[in-house]
Amino acid sequence: MKKTIKKNRNQLLESWFDATINTYPEESARILGKKSNRFDNPIGGVTRETLEDVLTLITEDFSREDLEKALDPVIRIRAVQTFDPANAVSFVFALKEIGESVIEKADIINFYRLVDEMALAAFNRYMKCREDIFLLKATESKRRIHRAFERAGLVAELSEGDLLGSKKS
Amino acid sequence: MADELTPDEALDKIDYRPRSSSEPRNWLDTTKSVQIRPGMYCYAAKPESVETLGLPYAREWNPTDEDWKLPENWQEILHEGIKERLERFRTFKIFMDICVRCGACADKCHFFLGTGDPKNMPVLRAELLRSIYRNDFTFAGKLLKKIPGGKRLLGSREMSLEALKEMWYYFFQCTECRRCSVFCPYGIDTAEITIIGRELLNLLGLNIDWIATPVSNCYQTGNHLGIQPHAFKDMLEFFVEDIEDITGVDCTPEFQKKGADILFITPSGDVFADPGTYTCQGYLILFKYLKDKYGLDVTWSTYASEGGNFGFFTSHETMKRLNAKMYAEAKRLGVKWILGGECGHMWRVINQYMDTMNGPADFLEVPVNPITGTRFENAASTKMVHICEFTADLIKHGKLELDKSRNANRVLTFHDSCNPARGMGLLEEPRYCIKACADEFYEMPPNTIREQTFCCGSGAGLNAGENIELRMAGALPRANAVKYVHNKFGVNSLATICAIDRAALPTMCEYWVPEVDVIGVHELVGNALILPGEKERTEDLRMEPLPGVEEE
Ligand code: SF4
Ligand code: SF4
Repeated sequence: MKKTIKKNRNQLLESWFDATINTYPEESARILGKKSNRFDNPIGGVTRETLEDVLTLITEDFSREDLEKALDPVIRIRAVQTFDPANAVSFVFALKEIGESVIEKADIINFYRLVDEMALAAFNRYMKCREDIFLLKATESKRRIHRAFERAGLVAELSEGDLLGSKKS
Repeated sequence: MADELTPDEALDKIDYRPRSSSEPRNWLDTTKSVQIRPGMYCYAAKPESVETLGLPYAREWNPTDEDWKLPENWQEILHEGIKERLERFRTFKIFMDICVRCGACADKCHFFLGTGDPKNMPVLRAELLRSIYRNDFTFAGKLLKKIPGGKRLLGSREMSLEALKEMWYYFFQCTECRRCSVFCPYGIDTAEITIIGRELLNLLGLNIDWIATPVSNCYQTGNHLGIQPHAFKDMLEFFVEDIEDITGVDCTPEFQKKGADILFITPSGDVFADPGTYTCQGYLILFKYLKDKYGLDVTWSTYASEGGNFGFFTSHETMKRLNAKMYAEAKRLGVKWILGGECGHMWRVINQYMDTMNGPADFLEVPVNPITGTRFENAASTKMVHICEFTADLIKHGKLELDKSRNANRVLTFHDSCNPARGMGLLEEPRYCIKACADEFYEMPPNTIREQTFCCGSGAGLNAGENIELRMAGALPRANAVKYVHNKFGVNSLATICAIDRAALPTMCEYWVPEVDVIGVHELVGNALILPGEKERTEDLRMEPLPGVEEE
């Protein structure tokens, strides 16, 4: 199966990319789907690069964590857009249908499992990005203003270290 | 720019024409209400703040409620408001008339590029207001609205409640950054349309709190954060102590000193919010140096303790009121001219509006740097010089002694803040200062800097907490370029000359590129500048060990 994926990588990538970009409103998808400079079109650029990396990764040995890492850039974007959680990760499932045309019958169950594994990784990462957002929301103003006051000894009772403790992963 | 849409392509691409409500892709269709999503909008202004400013219709209201508690004749108020502004602002009238919907601006807005929401295309943002204008104020509009299908043909619509809600939602998803205007063949500045749009919304009391409350604070207390004069002074005195620990030199500044050479005004964010506070320490060190070496007399003021001007995001009148304070203080103190700190929109206000609003400030002198003799012709009328121009001039004339090695731990890139870059063309001076203070500097890709710089996504009063998804999405194009130089050159520091950036970009970095830190240009100056009589420094202004020191 991995060989088939490798051989058909470009075809898979194109279809998967289209399916992912088409989760955006039609007028936007037409612009974001263009192969333009990656700095002029970060959603399109990052989405394409990420999907490409994921397709490469799954033909090698990998852990769920590797998958999560590889998926991060695209999920990180979708986590701050107006997708609900299901639609933020639904693009992963699109790969099932796309794969059907190239994956051999005997491998199809394995392929579905692979996509399921990917979906779980995507969901994990989505949750992590959402947590990042909530934490930023909770700590930002304290970090900006209170830390300066704290240093100046103008406020004493804030223990901000606690608030920031779980910040980095 | 091979990817630019051709006009033909664009007409096909930008679907601006109203269709019947049965057609789902009709973007002007307001039979479905706009979805105001959490994370994308800012909270409504507190009635007290609106009241303090004497702005109309102060009340409790909630954007997600069905009922916005609008005055009964709100349509009439808006109609009159638009009419008045069409007469008053020529640009507004022209921008309403001349857009050919070529689409060149469509994919240039960071909010469109980050959110993927088609209504964040600048052309469609402007169309929110333009469609009403066509309906109410053009001859064709009056004629065609009587014919079936005529409105669709023209792209006009009536001022309905849903249209109003949509305007509110999307005019507060624009940071007035002007990037779109750089690409418009007609020079249409959607930022100015947003400015008018917000002004109109203010006529109905539809302000957001992150703007109205700072404005009200500034109006009453002198700065956006509402910090009282003694706390302002305390804060600077505390910086003085820190600097003395680090350098052994006492940099105590002057406050409200009558007859000083120069009045210095900076955004209050530099005094009260990290990491701007370190930039503020850089200013103190610079002024001490200039005083000792050249006898330059700079004063601060606790009265004009705000360089920023959130009035700019409210209405022309409010902007004028807040701006006037700086000049009143300069006049009262009898200084020669004003030096301004690292700020963004403050410079757009000075450079673009001040002169016709409160100017010319002919009670001040045309700014001349007494140390180098340089005459700042660009500030001949406003009498206010940007500190980066001032410092760059000093460096150019060899007037500052700088030790670059003290910034050797920083691999830098520079984020052009929209207003200094696009609003006044300040492109070289900050880079010149950075390169004089540090060795490693790498530019981000050319289509993301200088005139084409991508906004931080939090400007124009949108740097609140509740709209963080919007801010992070809007910051994606910027962050994407920062990430690139981080991966390619090992950049670990993003330098900037705007107080909003110093507040917004650390959060952006934390989400998108956590390895990168944000730093003001004058923090670099403060680290590098060798003060007369200083002790051997072992720490930088953040009290981190200086490069080379930690190994010993
Ligand atoms: S605003 Fe300018 S660039 Fe944008 S569609 Fe209109 S004419 Fe074209
Ligand atoms: S001014 Fe900036 S934020 Fe507003 S529409 Fe133009 S590009 Fe977008």
